[in-house]
Amino acid sequence: MRRRLGWGFWLALGWITLVLAAAAAADLLPLPRYDETLAGPPQSGPGPGHPFGTDGLGRDVLSRVVYGARVSLGVGVGAVLLGVLIGAPLGVLAGYRRRAVDAVIMGVNDIALAFPALVFALAVVAFAGASLLNVLIVLGVLGVPAWVRLVRGATMVFSEREFVSAARLLGARDRTVLWREIVPNVSLPVASYAFIGMAVAIVAEGSLAFLGLSVQAPTPTWGGMINEGRPLMETAPHVVLLPSFVMFLTVLAFNLLGDRLRALTDVRQSGLEPVRRRRAERLPARPHHVEEDVLLQAADLRTHFTTARGTVRAVDGVSFTLERGRTLAVVGESGSGKSMLIRSVLGLAPESGTLRGGHVYLDGQDLTELDDQQMRRLLGTRLAAVFQDPMTALNPVRTIGAQVAEPLMVHLGMKRRAARARAAELLASVGIPEPARTLRRYPHQLSGGMRQRVTIAMALSCGPDVLFADEPTTALDVTVQDQVLRLIRRQREERHMAVVLVSHDLSVVAEWADEVIVMYAGKVVERGPAATLFERTRMPYTEALLAAVPKLTDPAHHPLRLLPGRPPDLANPPSGCAFHPRCPYARERCSAEEPPLFQAEAPDHLYACWYPVGTGAGAVETSGVSGMSGAAEVLRATEAAGAEETTDTIEGADSRGR
Amino acid sequence: MAGSGNAHLRPADEVVLRVEDLVVEFPAGGGRSVHAVSGVSFDVARGETLGIVGESGCGKSTTARALMQMPPPRAGSVRLDGVELTALRGEALRRTRRRLQMVFQDPISSLNPRRRVRDIVAEGPRVWGTGADLVDEMLTAVGLDPATAAARRPHEFSGGQCQRVSIARALVLEPEVVICDEPVSALDVSVQAQILALLEELKERYRLTLVFIAHDLAVVKNVSDRILVMYLGKVCELASGEALVGRPAHPYTRALLASIPRGGLGLPPADRLISGEPPSPVTPPSGCRFRTRCPAATPLCAAEEPVMRRIGADHWVACHHPHGRGSNGGEVR
Repeated sequence: MRRRLGWGFWLALGWITLVLAAAAAADLLPLPRYDETLAGPPQSGPGPGHPFGTDGLGRDVLSRVVYGARVSLGVGVGAVLLGVLIGAPLGVLAGYRRRAVDAVIMGVNDIALAFPALVFALAVVAFAGASLLNVLIVLGVLGVPAWVRLVRGATMVFSEREFVSAARLLGARDRTVLWREIVPNVSLPVASYAFIGMAVAIVAEGSLAFLGLSVQAPTPTWGGMINEGRPLMETAPHVVLLPSFVMFLTVLAFNLLGDRLRALTDVRQSGLEPVRRRRAERLPARPHHVEEDVLLQAADLRTHFTTARGTVRAVDGVSFTLERGRTLAVVGESGSGKSMLIRSVLGLAPESGTLRGGHVYLDGQDLTELDDQQMRRLLGTRLAAVFQDPMTALNPVRTIGAQVAEPLMVHLGMKRRAARARAAELLASVGIPEPARTLRRYPHQLSGGMRQRVTIAMALSCGPDVLFADEPTTALDVTVQDQVLRLIRRQREERHMAVVLVSHDLSVVAEWADEVIVMYAGKVVERGPAATLFERTRMPYTEALLAAVPKLTDPAHHPLRLLPGRPPDLANPPSGCAFHPRCPYARERCSAEEPPLFQAEAPDHLYACWYPVGTGAGAVETSGVSGMSGAAEVLRATEAAGAEETTDTIEGADSRGR
Repeated sequence: MAGSGNAHLRPADEVVLRVEDLVVEFPAGGGRSVHAVSGVSFDVARGETLGIVGESGCGKSTTARALMQMPPPRAGSVRLDGVELTALRGEALRRTRRRLQMVFQDPISSLNPRRRVRDIVAEGPRVWGTGADLVDEMLTAVGLDPATAAARRPHEFSGGQCQRVSIARALVLEPEVVICDEPVSALDVSVQAQILALLEELKERYRLTLVFIAHDLAVVKNVSDRILVMYLGKVCELASGEALVGRPAHPYTRALLASIPRGGLGLPPADRLISGEPPSPVTPPSGCRFRTRCPAATPLCAAEEPVMRRIGADHWVACHHPHGRGSNGGEVR
């Protein structure tokens, strides 16, 4: 808790505690009375007996500031409490009940907000007198509308959460739902806002006192002291200085408390946030061979993050090649590093706290050596990307036409009219009906599928060599997914480009990819042509992923083979093979030694496993596994019985486990 | 497609949940309304799992909430063990509704972040004063260790574990019917398999009746005894998983099946794919709501809404021209 709140929070808390304690214990402190005139020579500067000097009437400034804190803090805390006591129940009621209750409360609230605050304060003080209580009530009541709004908003957010529905289904009455489910969640933002509200109230009281509308003399208030000291500014500035400084510090401290508390509600910190550091650092790359004739090559690509919990190896030594006209799929569960791999290739991984390594070659040119500007020029022209949520890729306040035409004007130097015409052609080519009309529309007027088509059109606008598609259809319905994947394939063929498809959906990958990379804990654990990889799976993780997906051809209630546990913590991955704690075939060696990528019998098929499935190596364990899906079992049994061992490692034949 | 009719309903004494002609509409501004659910009927027998499948906007989640009376449907009947839920208000509804429980899609949003796991699961027993002894049993049954897990808060758990907590919370009141609304679509495939297996195991052990809603037909088929296909607020087809996948009769069911990537699944290639996207539920098409995208549509489909009719043993379809049948003027394909 201490580390998360930061030292500023504790300093602020310390200051407020000090001021509070001083105000509470003022009578016990060895100070002259605040109203004792001529306690010292008038307007004398700091000196013995009067550490902060005396004011125009010879009263001790320190004593007056300490007693003044009673008014300032009393009004600050009291007004906020009053505001919360009236405003919070109204806000909760409006936010939870909605409809008529909400309409009435918010209607009255809006009128109250429109009422001139200063006039109200003047009227109350004029009629009821300027006592501490009256000032407190004025400031408290003036704060009510803001509290109603704040609490209503927070209540609405939480009352839409499913846990509120669940509580009502369990039979909880509205009162219980409010107290147990909503109030605890609303109270943290309210607490943080309360501190900021106290700062506001202290400033407001100071302003009223400055205008002479607050508690009357001789009771000291900080604002009143500043007001009284104003004529002495030239001869005795110290009279104004101390109350101003104390007020400034106190307001700052309350604001800081509120701000830090709010930060607590904003993010749930996991200890995995990158530690701040200026620039990305480079890790040394292993020697590698730069392939000729391939469009895209990644060699020993690494992206590590330095975090409070240790180094997170999000991408750890990934290599692949990709040719024109091919689709490479990257699969894995969440946290496997598949999306970060794409960002690393595109140079889009976050800068701060990042360690990078390896090389990316596009037609033999090393992209990791390019500076930011050169890389930016490449993105959108030769390399293009489509992401899962098209709404984040589109600017909601600009028309589709403006957004599709922009890259054409920026990268290709087209004139506006020509760019618009080309944009319409692009929209037509991605299957958008009425392209001319769509150009004039805004993203929110299109469906999810249409929006994704627009982002694809934008990605294709400058004729890229490689299209990166990161979960492009995950947010879409299955019939629309089919249309979008079909579109990507057709564009790939027409433009002779390459596609990198990131997906968690194995059936999508099996249908639409030529080559597949299976990632686990930031590493490639199996790689090969799609057909081979899915039919002659070697890595137990790939096998388990395939078996975990329900198949339409299986009968109802067909037991799925379970892959126990979940992906590892990348800040603290298991020893040896990262998959060994979840692997049904794991033996001692798997936890001790990390397997390199071995070459399977099929060309270009690689796997990282000491005891691969579908070969004799894992056969002993295989027979004992229950709940294995039928097809895989048959396949494995035949291969175990008859297959010749032709596996060969690419990283030294002698390191093989056998 | 996408028709009405109640021919597919079974006698009331054979089922635990019976939904008839359910209608849910929301105001859409300008005096118009969103026709989210328009005359949907189905029933669920005790110990059975009914799968409801369809794409976004088909009304499957709205149906689930209407069963719970959250909010109550505009019209139609929801009978739980013969008790008409739509007629109940206030205290009577509160007492009866506990016999229906629900598991939601978003595992994070379904659990109150400020409460401990034990308090979350024990909320039902606390409200009703019974079943507190079941809390530990339920936590164990869903695969959580009560000793270590109960005192922790939801954010200390993964999505799959949160979903387990949700299931325990739903089961602790021993409900008649549990409605699962996309319970696995936010999870990784390995965790999805774990949750599906858990639901099957709990169903056996506690003799549960489930309504399982999802957009993934393969997932629905895996857990369901019967599957209901919905499109734009209407019912298309109802059949066992085998019949629905093996002999799909409704053009929409066929299109849905054809859209599923067949990579390595050994399914026959798709016959015809549908293009475009569903029309707006504010102004749904006349007659059959699927006709605007249907490859088999005829003028009859615009004029007259098809009703559910039987085309096989416990296989029902709402279509004028179901695949493989020559009746009602549709050609045999």
